[in-house]
Order: sequence, then C-alpha cells, then structure tokens
Amino acid sequence: QELGCRTTHCNLEVVQRSTLVFLATKPHVLPGVLEEIRPAVGSHHIVVSLVAGVTIQTLQRLLPPWTKVLRIMPNLPCVVQAGAMVFSRGSSAGDKDSALLQNLLSSCGLCEEVPESYIDIHTGLSGSGVAYVYLFAEALAEGAVKMGMPGALAGRIAAQTLLGAAKMLLETGEHPAKLRGDVCTPGGTTIYALHQLEKGALRATVMNAVEAATTRACDMAKE
Amino acid sequence: MSVGFIGAGQLAFALARGFTAAGVLAAHKITASSPDTDLPTVSGLRKMGVNFTVSNKDTVKNSDVLFLAVKPPIIPFILEEVGPDIEARHIVVSCAAGVTISSIEKKLCTFCPTPKVIRCMTNTPVIVREGATVYATGTHADVEDGRLLEQLMASVGFCTEVEEDLIDAVTGLSGSGPAYAFTALDALADGGVKMGLPRRLAVRLGAQALLGAAKMLLESEQHPGQLKDNVCSPGGATIHALHFLESGGFRSLLINAVEASCIRTRELQHLADQEKISPAAIKKTLLDKVKLESPSLSVASASKVSLFTNKSKKN
Repeated sequence: QELGCRTTHCNLEVVQRSTLVFLATKPHVLPGVLEEIRPAVGSHHIVVSLVAGVTIQTLQRLLPPWTKVLRIMPNLPCVVQAGAMVFSRGSSAGDKDSALLQNLLSSCGLCEEVPESYIDIHTGLSGSGVAYVYLFAEALAEGAVKMGMPGALAGRIAAQTLLGAAKMLLETGEHPAKLRGDVCTPGGTTIYALHQLEKGALRATVMNAVEAATTRACDMAKE
Repeated sequence: MSVGFIGAGQLAFALARGFTAAGVLAAHKITASSPDTDLPTVSGLRKMGVNFTVSNKDTVKNSDVLFLAVKPPIIPFILEEVGPDIEARHIVVSCAAGVTISSIEKKLCTFCPTPKVIRCMTNTPVIVREGATVYATGTHADVEDGRLLEQLMASVGFCTEVEEDLIDAVTGLSGSGPAYAFTALDALADGGVKMGLPRRLAVRLGAQALLGAAKMLLESEQHPGQLKDNVCSPGGATIHALHFLESGGFRSLLINAVEASCIRTRELQHLADQEKISPAAIKKTLLDKVKLESPSLSVASASKVSLFTNKSKKN
C-alpha cells in the first residue's frame, strides 16, 4: 500500500485486473489458490510462479491447458535491485512472454532463462547462497575483531570487500582464479591466508553446501 | 668446450645423458669422477662414452665448466680437495641444494682470488631434456658465463636466471616436484587398476594425461583454473572427482609439500653454514677416503665435524 499498489482480499480480482499474474504463495497453499482462480484465467494471461518446489508440470496440470506459464526462482537481493533470478517457460509460453518477463525483472538484477532442471541448482547456488555469503562476511569480520578492529567497522569493510570483489568479477569477466592470483604477491600476506583456507578445505565445504541445498530443493519438490 | 662432473651419481648421469642427447656436447668432451666405482650410474656414464676417472683433480684439469654434482655435505670436502686446481678460467657450477654461493666463494678464494661460481638448481627430468633449471651468478661470474650455462641447461629443458634468494623455493617446487608427480602417478595408476585397468596401461595413460595437461598449460595463455573448468562438464564425471580432491585438501597438501621442501632446504643450508655436519650424513666410503687424505682432520663418532678449517690443507 505504501508503494501505491492496490490491495485486495480477493484472488480472482487480481487475476481479472492483470495480464501478468505472479503466484507468490507458500507451496502448500498453492493448489487451493490455483483451483480458485482457474475459472478466471484466460489465454491473454501470463502466469509466473515464484513458488519454491512446484514444477511447471504441476502448474500446467492445475491451470487451463493452453495457459502461458513460467516459473522463476529469485533471490533475496532483488530487494536492492541486485538479485539473481532464473526462469523457465512452460509449453504454451512463447519468446514474447519470456522477453517480457526478462525485461521486467532485469530491473531487479540478473535475470536469465534456463532449462527447468537448473532451478533447484540455482536455489543451492544463489537462493541459499546469499546465506553462505552472510556467514563468510560474519567470519571475516570476526577475524578482524580478533586482531583488534571494532566490530561495526569490520562488518562494513567485510561487506564492501565482498561487494568490490564481486563487482570486479562481473565487470572484468576474468576467471576468479586469475583474479585471485593477481592479488597474491609472492610470499605475501594473501597467499599465506589462502593456504589457511585450503587447509580448511573451504572449496570442498562450499561445494558440499551447494550440493546439500540443491538436493534438498529436489527432495522438497517431490514431497 | 669441455664439461666436468665431480660426482658420478644421478645428477651427473642425467645431465650427461641430456647434453649428449641434445647434441650440444660430445660424450668424449665430458669427464666425470667419483671415488665410488660401484655406482650403477658409473657404468651408464662409461657406456655413453663419457671419460670416467677416480681422480677429481683430473676432472678439474680437463674441464672448462665444472659441475659439482655431489650431495651438499660433501661439497666442503670437494672444494678443499680441488680448490688448488681451480683457475680463473673455470666456471664452477654447484648444483647442491642449500649450498650458498658465498660459502663456495669463501672456500675457493683461499686458492684462487676471483673464482667464477654459479649456483644452479635443476631437476631429474633433464635426463629426458625436460628439466626445470634456475641459476644465480656469483661475484666473479660474468654475464657471458651465465649465458653459457643457460645455453647448456636450455638444451635439456627450461632454464632461467633468478636471484639467489629464490633458489630454495625453486627446490621446493621443481626440484622436488618430479617426486610429487611420481607419487601422484603411482596413485592414479592404482585408481585405474582398482577400476579394472591392467597396471601397465594405467601407468601409461596416467603419465600421458599429466604430460598432456602440462603441455596444454605451457602452450596456453589461459589460467589453469580456466583449463580445469574446460574439462568439467556440468554434473559430469570430472567435477565429481574434483570434489573428492577438494574434500581431501588436495591443494593444501601440495602447498604444504612445496613449503616443507623449501624450509628443509633452508634448514640444511643453515646447518651447513654453522659448519656442523654429523658424520652420519657422509657416506662411509667418503669418510674413509677423507680420513686417509687428511690425518689431521679427525671425525669423532659422537661429535660434529667442522668443515671449513684449514687444518686439513694438503698439497
């Protein structure tokens, strides 16, 4: 309401007033909602599901057969227009519909079309991935606090470090290993620190995390 | 140009084999010496056509470039023995890990005012002309002397000049490196055998895989990380395997290895600088020989030996 949007208690009203309809309910609520709005869904509608774990196949089954359906997985930083989103199209959605969605959502960050099988992977990588980054940022700051820096300052610097590094990655298009090498002067501080990270098998642990979240997303979708 | 090797072990053999195979030097222009004629490499050198002698002095007299190809603790004895025969024309190349240019110059200066000393760190694949060599030039070695050595060593692999303080790191990386590779290859072959390959084939394929990968990297502008990515198709076999390597701390193990070898090299150098080597570090045949030639130098079993005294000066 603060943004100037109209709100209502009636799902049907949303469908009747809109061409592009986002489904943003919790998974267990969705089947009921789809049953409710099904009569009002027409061939002009584009239905975009943000619901975790609900496949395009399920959506198409619960909606009229020729409905244009797309499925999208965003991540939290969409809130600050630095999100990472992937989407897939259903059998009735065409290039125009994909382009419309992509153009609209690019305002929130990176938005790319993918095969549906990548969506659970995106969850593991970037949906949950945001939490991994928060954990890493916290740990970086904690290290600095241990070495004598005040926590608030350490936190801000940790965040800026991640932001800056990510920006360089995205803007230079260089391989992360190359960028890492560029920072490592022979016998310097960075290589000493990286050795510690390798000793802790950080890479494998991160791979484990992405794998665990992806697997869990797949399992939850089946439930 | 003639080349001499004090020492007729693995290093001398590898270099002699490499130089002759490369055609930069005829075998009869090479002399090698060692008091120990039972070494398997001695017969190998002889078969190559290299002049073998038990007299280190003869080697020095017949060489322009003189490689000190003995183990580090033996270097002081050698310098003591051949020092008087070293002339300003000689280029003395030490391949001994951890032995500094200054320690060699210090010793030789008592015999010859401006000895040309070059310190070199190479590795065993010189034998197949794929060595990795670095060198640092001493106080009296000219640019041309360095270039001469570089030409020789470039015929058996990669060779470049470095500052002396990097040589210990090079030892850790490419000096010891072939051993890391042999270990990896042995294990890779085991993996192949476990999954059903005959041993010989497994070894052959593993070695070729590493050879090919190394060649790709050397010929590519790309970062090894990028080359790795190029092999890893999404969800495929390779990325699954790499995950195992990462879980085992593969990368950190390799970093640890290079570090350990480098640190140990420095430790040994430090011990040598303190001029304290335990007799156990010296082979028995050599000890006996030393005792014979230098009765004033006593090697008590429980004590340490001081190697740079002048008590054992002989004619």
